[in-house]
Amino acid sequence: MARIGVFVCHCGENISRTVDCAKVSATLKDHPGVVVSQDYKYMCSDPGQTLIKQAIEEHDLTGVVVAACSPHMHEKTFRRAASQAGLNPFVVEMANIREQCSWVHEAGPETDAKAIEIVGTIVEKVKNNVPLETIHIPVTKRALVIGGGIAGIQAALDIADGGAEVVLVEKEPSIGGHMSQLSETFPTLDCSQCILTPRMVEVYQHPRITLHSYSEVESVEGYIGNFHVTVRKKARSVDEDLCTGCGDCQAACPSRKIPSEFDAGLGMRSAIYVPFPQAVPNIPVLDRENCTLFKGRAKGREKDLCGKCKESCLRSAIDYEQEDTLIDEKVGAIVIATGFKLYSVGREQPEGLKGYAEYNYGEIPDVISGLQFERLASASGPTGGQIVRPSDGKVPKKIVFLQCIGSRDPEKGISYCSKICCMYAAKHTMLYRHKVHDGEATVFYMDIRSAGKGYEEFVRRAIEEDGANYIRGRVSRMYRDGETVKVVGYDTLAGETAIFDADMVVLCTAMRPHKGNKNLGRKLSVTYDQYGFISSAHPKLRPVETTTAGVFVAGACMSPSDIPDSIASASAAASKVLGMFSGDELEREPTVAVVNERTCIGCFNCERVCPYGAIEHIDVCNRENEVCGHVARVLPGVCQGCGTCVATCPSKSVELQGFTDEQIFAEINALLTW
Amino acid sequence: MSELQDLARKLLEEGTVQVVIGWEAGRRGLRPVTITDPSDVEKLVFDTRSVHNLATYLDPRRTQVRKLGKPAIVVKGCDTKAVAALLREAQIERDEVVLIGVRCGGVVKDPAGDATLTLETVAPRCAGCDVREPHLADFIIGEEQPEPPQVTSIDERVAELDAMTPDERFEFWASQMEKCVRCYACRQACPLCVCDQCVADKTVPQWIERSPHARGNLSWHMTRALHLAGRCVGCGECERACPVGIPITLINRKLQQIVAESFDFEVSDDPATASPIGTFRDDDREDFIL
Amino acid sequence: MSEMTEPINDFEPRITAFVCNWCTYTGADMAGTSRMHMASNVRIIRLPCTGRIDALFIIKAFERGADGVIVSGCHPADCHYTAGNYHARRRFIVFRELLGFMGVDLGRVTFSWVSAGEGAKWRDVVNETVERIRELGPFDAYHDLALRQAAGAASGTSLDVPDVVAPVVAEAGDAS
Repeated sequence: MARIGVFVCHCGENISRTVDCAKVSATLKDHPGVVVSQDYKYMCSDPGQTLIKQAIEEHDLTGVVVAACSPHMHEKTFRRAASQAGLNPFVVEMANIREQCSWVHEAGPETDAKAIEIVGTIVEKVKNNVPLETIHIPVTKRALVIGGGIAGIQAALDIADGGAEVVLVEKEPSIGGHMSQLSETFPTLDCSQCILTPRMVEVYQHPRITLHSYSEVESVEGYIGNFHVTVRKKARSVDEDLCTGCGDCQAACPSRKIPSEFDAGLGMRSAIYVPFPQAVPNIPVLDRENCTLFKGRAKGREKDLCGKCKESCLRSAIDYEQEDTLIDEKVGAIVIATGFKLYSVGREQPEGLKGYAEYNYGEIPDVISGLQFERLASASGPTGGQIVRPSDGKVPKKIVFLQCIGSRDPEKGISYCSKICCMYAAKHTMLYRHKVHDGEATVFYMDIRSAGKGYEEFVRRAIEEDGANYIRGRVSRMYRDGETVKVVGYDTLAGETAIFDADMVVLCTAMRPHKGNKNLGRKLSVTYDQYGFISSAHPKLRPVETTTAGVFVAGACMSPSDIPDSIASASAAASKVLGMFSGDELEREPTVAVVNERTCIGCFNCERVCPYGAIEHIDVCNRENEVCGHVARVLPGVCQGCGTCVATCPSKSVELQGFTDEQIFAEINALLTW
Repeated sequence: MSELQDLARKLLEEGTVQVVIGWEAGRRGLRPVTITDPSDVEKLVFDTRSVHNLATYLDPRRTQVRKLGKPAIVVKGCDTKAVAALLREAQIERDEVVLIGVRCGGVVKDPAGDATLTLETVAPRCAGCDVREPHLADFIIGEEQPEPPQVTSIDERVAELDAMTPDERFEFWASQMEKCVRCYACRQACPLCVCDQCVADKTVPQWIERSPHARGNLSWHMTRALHLAGRCVGCGECERACPVGIPITLINRKLQQIVAESFDFEVSDDPATASPIGTFRDDDREDFIL
Repeated sequence: MSEMTEPINDFEPRITAFVCNWCTYTGADMAGTSRMHMASNVRIIRLPCTGRIDALFIIKAFERGADGVIVSGCHPADCHYTAGNYHARRRFIVFRELLGFMGVDLGRVTFSWVSAGEGAKWRDVVNETVERIRELGPFDAYHDLALRQAAGAASGTSLDVPDVVAPVVAEAGDAS
């Protein structure tokens, strides 16, 4: 027999002002199955909770209904209280008579009647609640970090320093990401490589970090605490164990005119190459697409056309026959830190983006991107840190910087603010003036967004101390005019056309998500936004969690982020992972689906609709122990409790704990029989 | 006919199958038969009265049939759609059954009636038949047949109902529903109703009222139809089985129309093409959602 | 003058709303937090997701005397469970048309997307639905279908059972 306690809260006067709480309580006292019904000024207060706890003990209650605010407000509070009094927390439910009753209606008999119905309905539901046990899931204390940029490096180091093992997967030949390409960083102007490379080495040498560079995540199976990840290690054509990183192969390679990715196309590299001198691991990779030998093989030449690198290697580390290998890793948590790419300004654009044909990027060599400017300004760059024009190697005396290239421009396909460009444009003007003292730096901007510690002061310094000329407005057209680039813009504050003869133009292009994010999102059942950035589970409250339990996100793959932001989110994700790893088991709310294997007919419609891949097939055996069929089972660690499978099952063989058919049936009946 | 009988004999004698499910002449027209002895194959017949969708006997829960051994069943093109549905929904494995496909030129409505195909006698489902050739079958036998007479009676009746006011339709169906005695012959005859425990038999909670009044009956018929949305092969066996003459195929046909218009989907004999219910498109219509 | 003489419609519709926990329920809470006044005819049943909603819930509500039903969840792409609302949308496309075909006035069923921030939209959905159902009047016809029984069976008229199910199959034995 049900022994339900009803506790009606006045919420000060928030409820009692329009709902007659005493009447609600008194009416419910006569409701079948209710053994105690009380009202009190503040149920959530200590005395209120004590009142409930006492009633649980005194009346040996089997269920509790708290008629008060929204369950989103205090369900946890009252479940905890009940559990302290020895009652299973999942037989406690809240009847929402505040947000959905007292606050939206006038005082009167209809409002009282509605409150009584709401409470009575929840009483009927609770009669069908059953005690549930928190789900315990074993956890593998090993994390996968996808992406070896600054966010991935930080997350990997934090997790490893916290005592757990880490597998770091980087798709490029070296870790370091975009940060390794930067010259100096705002707002402190410290050299990017000086602060980054020690961290890269730390990753490489860390006893608890396994680095798979030049590798990608092939597939992911399993669920929180228990993921099985397959990593595809791409063929480097170099034996990592034998190679000493001496560089002889690079020197021997005859194909030397390949635009360097690391130098954003401003420098050249060989076909077998280490992307940059401080690369980690310092092991070359053979770019088969540009290698004479492999190009020959692709054309079907029987005899290899080259072999110079192999000949030059004293350790015989070069292996032309090397193939991709698949590595299985078992991990308990995953951090996505795939970073970003930049809006490509040229004429050829991915779907939905329009590009800036009017700026003639790619056609005028002295119109460059912000990242290219970073390489020019970098001491390790193609010019050794000298800022010179790509066209003729002369030092530019006038540089025009254009902000918001791609960003904040729905016409061009991106509505969001890329966040970092205001700061790096200011930085560029300073770097320029520090190297070319008589240079003129002009910045076309829409707004200056410099929120961040020391950021506004930094921009002011660029303007006031380093003399950058800021013009509020957009540039409509650029074209070559003799040796210079004619920049035609409009100064909206002066209200006049602003035309410049620039020696060089720098386009501050927007951060965009990698196109691989969508693919990765599907592999991990993680959602991404309209642009392809990975979505947080909640934009405010759960910023570094994703929609899949056990999968976290850090850095610029979720939204444009600068270095401090990326590191903060990486550390946040790492602390979430370490929190997960702090016990031997994970606890989950038992609001999950359960299959009745006796009545399941194995049609697997549930599997088709499950957004999480939580349905597994299990064998059914006959009396002779032969497999005679399959039925569905829900993996409680993966299920998130949406119940879509329940409504899909034709034979009603799936139930959602906490929202069972019986509970909902009781609610519908109760509502309409008053 | 001898082609069918010879093939059945061969399959039984060689032990490829232990039972052949087909049609025989009964007291009143044709009826389904199971042949386990090769000497009985002369009983097998196929003509325009081979109306029944024998795929219904492939349901693994029909243990009486299953225990006879591996079956070969005689299928018309339309019947293969039901076999495809069972394959698609993992109810049978393809190598568990031998399909003897017969080229069909249409069947009559009543297996006990006149075998001549006319506009009056032809089964409405034969109109617009898109599976004249039973591609799914292991063997395809018989001569190519002329196209059956085309009747559009079902679509016309659905359109008539659509043209009514809601109240008129409600009254039409109420008067149909009050006839239902809940014998569940419609369920038994359906080749796609394969649940061990039907929702209509579930008592805790009892979603579908069990007493045969129009309200519970309407709930049953709507639920049955919804479970068949995107799956119903339109064989019409439910309606033919109904002892009180409820026009069940009108509901099924309406659902076929809804599914075709909303999801551009028609049930086919391809076991790999799944029902559109259970998947979605980001841009599914939502003109009815505020 | 004729407006003055019209009878006052004192019918109070009974409306059941099936809403998802994350968007519409929270939106309804927000309407409360913002003290938006609305009609008191709607009773909410909270579910985790619109994907959990079975057509039988709506049928059962009508059986039990609901004059109208509201189904509401997260906007497309906003689903807390990523895709529950998309599956629900497909099911409702089919179910709604079926209801219409069976003669239920579709004005009695409101489908809406109300996000956690759309308290005002929830108020409007509630008020508009209440007004619409008030116009349509009580839906006793559905509830009273229970009074209509098989006349033939009751009077003992013999039913003509055709020879449809093959004699080899004894279904009673299948239950094991």
